[in-house]
Amino acid sequence: MSRYPITWRLLDLVEAVAALLWPRALHRYTGWLLLLPAIALVGLLVAGLAYMGDSSLRLLDTETFEQSEDYTLANYRDLIEKPTYFTVLMRSTGAATLVTVLTLVLAFPYAYSMVRTRSAWRRKLLLVSLFLPFFIGQVVRAYGWLVVLGKTGIVNTLLAHLGLGPFKMIYTYPSLVFGLVQYMLPFAVLLIAPAITAIDEELEAASESLGATGWRTLRHVILPLAKPGLVASAVVVFTLTITDYAMPVVLGGGTNDFIANAVYDAFFRISDNGLGSALALTLVVFASTLVAVMLGLMGAGTLGMRPSGRGR
Amino acid sequence: MKLLSPRAVFAAIVGFNLVALALPTLVILGASFTEGNMIVFPPEGFSLRWYEKVLGSESLQEAFGRSLWVSLICTAAGVPAGALAALGMARFRLRFSGVLQIYLLLPFTIPLIASGIGLMLFFGEIGVLGELWPVGIACAVINLPFMIWAVLASVNGLDPDLENAAANCGAPPVQTFLTVTLPAVMPGVITGGLILFVLAFNEFLVSLLLTDAHTVTLPVSIYNSIRSIITPDLAAVSVVYIVVAGLAIVLLDRIVGLEVFLRSK
Repeated sequence: MSRYPITWRLLDLVEAVAALLWPRALHRYTGWLLLLPAIALVGLLVAGLAYMGDSSLRLLDTETFEQSEDYTLANYRDLIEKPTYFTVLMRSTGAATLVTVLTLVLAFPYAYSMVRTRSAWRRKLLLVSLFLPFFIGQVVRAYGWLVVLGKTGIVNTLLAHLGLGPFKMIYTYPSLVFGLVQYMLPFAVLLIAPAITAIDEELEAASESLGATGWRTLRHVILPLAKPGLVASAVVVFTLTITDYAMPVVLGGGTNDFIANAVYDAFFRISDNGLGSALALTLVVFASTLVAVMLGLMGAGTLGMRPSGRGR
Repeated sequence: MKLLSPRAVFAAIVGFNLVALALPTLVILGASFTEGNMIVFPPEGFSLRWYEKVLGSESLQEAFGRSLWVSLICTAAGVPAGALAALGMARFRLRFSGVLQIYLLLPFTIPLIASGIGLMLFFGEIGVLGELWPVGIACAVINLPFMIWAVLASVNGLDPDLENAAANCGAPPVQTFLTVTLPAVMPGVITGGLILFVLAFNEFLVSLLLTDAHTVTLPVSIYNSIRSIITPDLAAVSVVYIVVAGLAIVLLDRIVGLEVFLRSK
């Protein structure tokens, strides 16, 4: 026995311990055992939501700044009755719609070119250009836009050479939308690209050889086949935008708040945890419903968690 | 007519995207080397003074260290949890797998502000709010789906018969796992791990909610400075992020190749 290498003996020990802790009779639950850590991690989130639910049903006593003992729906009624929250909701939804449309229009050609290009070098350039901002993070990127679009930034300096401006661009709605589109672009492209890869290139060639122009091939062959990717990226971009916090607060300059900003303010400006929780939960329900409806209408797209080719 | 062919329009859009994607990064790089006290275009002169100032700042160094720690905890918690979950879902026929999928997608479908506030209330309730490790755990929770996706993508390349063959040749379960399953999904584990690390290093909103004045992470500290006055030292700090992002991309490309993200599922 001792002639065997130490690693073998260690491995045997590990096997013995594993067999002791997880006997053969339990093997049919091995799948669940593997899932346990992930289920526990997400469980923290669920616990958090439960605390929020509890808090949202308690009213803030403005004298003592403590939450009431008994449950009430007053916070939810407040949300419905105060017009500010409706305005914020409408602003977020409108911006999310605009950003989604713009992002998809910009992302599709990028994904298509990246997948279809014959030059490995060009593909690498497109990939790196995509991943660099993706990995740099939102705050730094928003800061970059402040510098680009600021009073003494590149855009205003170039415009000044043409005898124009200076224009006030930061802290406006268009710059907020622009910053969001640039932020969402990598997400959208990375979700569309696999769908384009899945399209047989010969279908495009067949369409063109049958006399369809480029645009008709795009409309009748490529876009319908790329739908799973387009659906997935539309859902992701829409929900990420409508729930965004950083871009409105940095590029919107406090006058273009989204729902997330209103939630933050409820907690940290007016210290009303109940109202903030109610607002955040409303956002959860609103966003989940939208996702469910969109996925229900258009299928799971490339968002599914199931590996392909098995059990579908 | 030729001018409006899809090819030409696509090329124009791709060009526009490339500029839009690169501009903030390039501008930050440029501004960080300026000699002046203000960020103007084109930058005035060339100096490393803002880097000197940043390197001499104790609070920034501490924030950097905290962000690093948060990323490490996030990776340490998220990589095993996500990888095992992906293997569990791919390899075993589980009951309620539909519900399970929805449950594991929750971090992705629940808005970040709600996840962050919920975790803040939860960590506050159990009395650990204000410590650093819960921030790392929170980052692992909210980014878990990325890890699961990354590993699921490489599970597809693993033939279940290989595991059966190993078992058939007498390999016990743990050995099969370590010598057959794990190496096969390693590209996915590395990809997911890198993404988790970088996302945690960047995480702003959850950090903002879970940290206090003594535990601010680097993104929060940058954000706090943006709100006051924009000076070139911020650009020099931001270069840290550009460097980290660049390193992550080089690693990803070397180890698995960026092209894996183009593969169809």
